[in-house]
Amino acid sequence: MSIHASRPANNPLAVARGTDPDARPGGDPLADSRGTDHVARPGGDPLADARGTDTVARRSRFLGAVTLLVLCAFAVACARPAPPTGNAASEGRPAPGGTVAQDGIGATGTGAAATRNVVDDLGRSVHVVARPERIVSLAPSITEILFAIGAGPRVIATTSYCTFPPEAANTNKIGDTQKPDVERILALKPDLVLVSTASQLESISERLGALGVPVVVTAAKGVDGVLTSIERIGVATGDTDAATALTTTLRARIESVRATIAGRPAPKVFAIVGNEPLFTSGKGTFLDDLIRLAGGASITADETTEWPQYSAEAVIAKAPDVILVPLVTHGFAAQDSGVPKSIAATPAVRNGRIVKIDGDLLMRPGPRLVDGLEQLAKALHPEAYR
Amino acid sequence: MRPGYLTSGRLVTVLAVLVIVLAIACGVSLAFGSERVPVGDILAAMWARASGGTSPLSPEHSAIVFDVRLPRLALALVVGASLSVAGSAFQALLRNPLAEPYILGVSSGAALGAVLSAVVFAAAATGRTMSAFAGALVTIVVVYAIGEGREGAPTERLILAGVIVNAFLSSAIIFLMTLTSEAGLRGIYSWLIGDLSGSSDALWPIALVTLAGGTAIALCARSMNLLMLGERDARALGVATRRVKVVVYCAASMITAASVAVSGMIGFVGLVIPHAVRLVVGSDNRLVVPASALVGAAFLALGDTLSRTLFAPREIHIGVVTALIGAPVFVYLLRRSW
Repeated sequence: MSIHASRPANNPLAVARGTDPDARPGGDPLADSRGTDHVARPGGDPLADARGTDTVARRSRFLGAVTLLVLCAFAVACARPAPPTGNAASEGRPAPGGTVAQDGIGATGTGAAATRNVVDDLGRSVHVVARPERIVSLAPSITEILFAIGAGPRVIATTSYCTFPPEAANTNKIGDTQKPDVERILALKPDLVLVSTASQLESISERLGALGVPVVVTAAKGVDGVLTSIERIGVATGDTDAATALTTTLRARIESVRATIAGRPAPKVFAIVGNEPLFTSGKGTFLDDLIRLAGGASITADETTEWPQYSAEAVIAKAPDVILVPLVTHGFAAQDSGVPKSIAATPAVRNGRIVKIDGDLLMRPGPRLVDGLEQLAKALHPEAYR
Repeated sequence: MRPGYLTSGRLVTVLAVLVIVLAIACGVSLAFGSERVPVGDILAAMWARASGGTSPLSPEHSAIVFDVRLPRLALALVVGASLSVAGSAFQALLRNPLAEPYILGVSSGAALGAVLSAVVFAAAATGRTMSAFAGALVTIVVVYAIGEGREGAPTERLILAGVIVNAFLSSAIIFLMTLTSEAGLRGIYSWLIGDLSGSSDALWPIALVTLAGGTAIALCARSMNLLMLGERDARALGVATRRVKVVVYCAASMITAASVAVSGMIGFVGLVIPHAVRLVVGSDNRLVVPASALVGAAFLALGDTLSRTLFAPREIHIGVVTALIGAPVFVYLLRRSW
């Protein structure tokens, strides 16, 4: 946290990176931990003593290293309480080499070293350079958003799940969304890391933040929340105009769907998220939101868990008119395992109204949710689109 | 434990009582679910089905009872019976009260097969059953090869072989699962902790395997009684120990493999039902084996009914129900008899 708040020109990490880009990996542990020490305490120097000890007792290097590590841990722990929003800039301290940055979205600086504060979906205020050139995305949805707003060429790394657009395959891969390789992320020297709560463990963003990497978190709820996330990401990457243009188009398309289906009776929809056992979508998922926006009534919209395991007989009793099968490309739910026999006695199956849509369009909180919305609306209200 | 001197009269009486208990469990399982279907109508509909009359049930209710509840009940009965019989067989064979159907790695082999089919071949659920069964069979052979190196090897060797193979396979499963996306794993997770809601396509083959294996074990029951005295004593009393051990091991492993392949790892049943049965009827395997089958089937049918109804229309995992209900019942039985 203290790293967020440190002034970039003074940030020893930046200096260290600039002067010694090839920090010996796996080399002298003492040197490494000394580096960490610098990073952890840019201002004060409580570790000077420790370093002195080190020079005196060169023979007990190991002991010194351990001591340093412990002290570093202590220093980091002490530095923690600095609130993420209370940063150098808002306290009025000028940032040498830059401008006094302002809080809030859209603040820009002059010059390469200038930073601004970007507020993310969690309300955290994060220092980000004016135009990040080395962006790391840790979620498929974020990767899609970055490419959609034209920041794609500056994305240097994504996760192994980031399959869209195809260009995302050309970036470095830093593992999957569950266990991103923190070391590799650090080695890539990103100036912006984007994390989504949809697929990201909170601990990763805290770890990266503590290591001095600017981390912006997206936590979109509902389709509307995704549009806000897109705009926030645009601000973070310096593509505000492109992001706004994108969300304007997306809003118009959502509105067009709404106008087309307005006044039509809502068919009852049952979504199959997993087949054996039967899993569906409850309240508060993107799927749930999309079904509503597309003019459908989910029969499981009252379920309080997001992905409840659901009873086949309850499905039969609720008699859905349409069964929605998001096609997922990995594992069991994939490969069109279709509709289980146990719910064959429903109007949807009798009338052959099984709707299959690419699951990425329905469950990834990115711009293609609107594609999914349009496909779903067409499937739920074919007469309206005739 | 009781001395349990077994007469044919006692055998018949106990089994007759258990058959009645099982019939009640089946009735309860069919009658209750997340939807309310009148019990009288269900009985009338059954009668109508048998006699060709008109059913009082709506098509939806008819589908709920006969297409949803009935196949699931059948699966619960087969799985409950096979796990309990396998558990009683392993406890006698290994002379170890902690033995249960999964102790020798069969379940891990099945799980590895299932995960492989999902991760590597992206197969649907039908492929899952097949590959789980195949994985279990391979494991049975491997564990036996490791554990029974030479004539008269102690059963501890078999247990150790099972434990080691178990550990190895579990790690392989976790490794494979880290390679897959979470979307594909939701099904696997539920399957791993046990799930009866899946397809009943494989019901008949599984039932046949269970029947064959269960019969084989029941036929060995007398020899198993003698084996429990110790292998040397059993041999001295004229038991072909090696042959009995191989038959019981293979039969118990096969029926475990079949039930794991179709329903995943439902815990607790195979460990505790045989003990509970022994506490009540004595430890003569000629009675323990068939009684375990009946009690296990009834127990799992009731457990599944609870898992479907407690939080309806949501379902909870059957493994959770079996342990939450079964453990207190077992403690009661234990305290009563000792």
